[in-house]
Amino acid sequence: MDFKNLASRLGLDEDDVIELVELFVTTALSDIDKIKKGVKKNNSQDVAAASHSIKGAAGNLGFDKLYTFAKDMEMQAKKGSLTDFELYISDLENRVNALNKF
Amino acid sequence: MKNKQSYTILAVDDNLLNLKLIEKSLSKEGYKVFLADNGPAAREIAIKEMPDLILLDIEMPGENGFDVITKLKDNSQTNVIPVIFLTGVSKVDSKLKGFDLGAVDYITKPFHPLEVLARVRIHLKLSIATNSLIAEQTNKLKQITQAQVSMLPRPEDHPDALFGVYYKALEEAGGDFYDILNISDKITGYFVADFSGHDIKTSYMTAYVKALLAQNCTPVYSPAESMKLINNVLVEILSDGKYLTACYIHINRITKKMTIVSAGHPPVVCLPLDGEPYLIKTPGDVLGTFKDAHFGTQSIDVSPGDKVFIYSDGLVESAQNKITWASGADSLLSACKQIEQIPYDKAPAELVNRLFAKGTLPEDDIVVLCVKV
Repeated sequence: MDFKNLASRLGLDEDDVIELVELFVTTALSDIDKIKKGVKKNNSQDVAAASHSIKGAAGNLGFDKLYTFAKDMEMQAKKGSLTDFELYISDLENRVNALNKF
Repeated sequence: MKNKQSYTILAVDDNLLNLKLIEKSLSKEGYKVFLADNGPAAREIAIKEMPDLILLDIEMPGENGFDVITKLKDNSQTNVIPVIFLTGVSKVDSKLKGFDLGAVDYITKPFHPLEVLARVRIHLKLSIATNSLIAEQTNKLKQITQAQVSMLPRPEDHPDALFGVYYKALEEAGGDFYDILNISDKITGYFVADFSGHDIKTSYMTAYVKALLAQNCTPVYSPAESMKLINNVLVEILSDGKYLTACYIHINRITKKMTIVSAGHPPVVCLPLDGEPYLIKTPGDVLGTFKDAHFGTQSIDVSPGDKVFIYSDGLVESAQNKITWASGADSLLSACKQIEQIPYDKAPAELVNRLFAKGTLPEDDIVVLCVKV
């Protein structure tokens, strides 16, 4: 990940951005955990809330693909449908973990 | 706005990353940032820290942003703090509701930190400008209040006039006015007036009237003549629709004669040393409207120790309860009787206390003069 470019886009220092990305990964993984539990219990409200949280954070950091992905999950969960969420979760987890590698 | 080096911003969002992002963007520009991840905590910080601006997320679990802003605006401590709310881009209803509830602006989510910074800056500037305007206006009104009060004679400066006074203006520029005129050694004039309106023009008019009283209330003129002379000038200088009701009492402590001239003013109450209080009704035209105005005049004999109450309609009138001074004045008699043992200098405040004792609040300016013969 190009932290320098991201820092410049956000008007922040590179160190701040690294800290924020680390925080994003931690909170997103915690939200993914909530999504997993929500799916298991078939609780679409919890799934929507956790997807909303990832969506908001990803959007503000400029992670557009993650933002769109979490947004789709939130919308689907709000409709009460949790079909194929295992695939969503796995894809989301991979995307977040990818950020962690940098 | 407080005089301090850095401005404080309270950011409220249930998303920790959003809070951190806002904190980092604003603090590096010199702002002090408080963070709250829920509504109740946000309100607590707002009251304790009085931030200069609040960034408030709408969609939060429990107490949402609308609940928070409603409570902030209902609280007199926090209702002046500008609130910018954070909301989803497509939620027009949410934006309109936020404005309805008193927000100054919104930022759509996902937000860009630089946009947050720009909006914070512009709203702080607006807030600073508004607050300095308010401070300037308040200061001007305070000067007017001080000028008005300095024109009102104090009992301790006129010990021979034997009077006590209660004066309370509801607004900075009061509409009530009184003056004491030392006409000669044993002759004193007492003037109480109520201007139509409470605006700044009114406060300037009190200075004119005070000057006119000093010029025309002299031993050369009878009390009625003094009022006519003053009326003739006021008719020329008062703008359309402006007038004043007034009562002028002239007490000659040698001849023990009291002359009352009333210009559309509530009746005075006479409380004889040994006897029942009674109203002296002297109907007449108001001051400042008609050149050929007729003022009600009465002269009565008085005895040393008698007390006279002159007051403005705010003491007895109530628009809420549909009581005019004509009917409200009758209720004064029993109140005056109850305070007959109270010394004249304390009687006005005591009278007001008794009339407004039951939790009712004055609806107008009040002036009450108690004069001891």
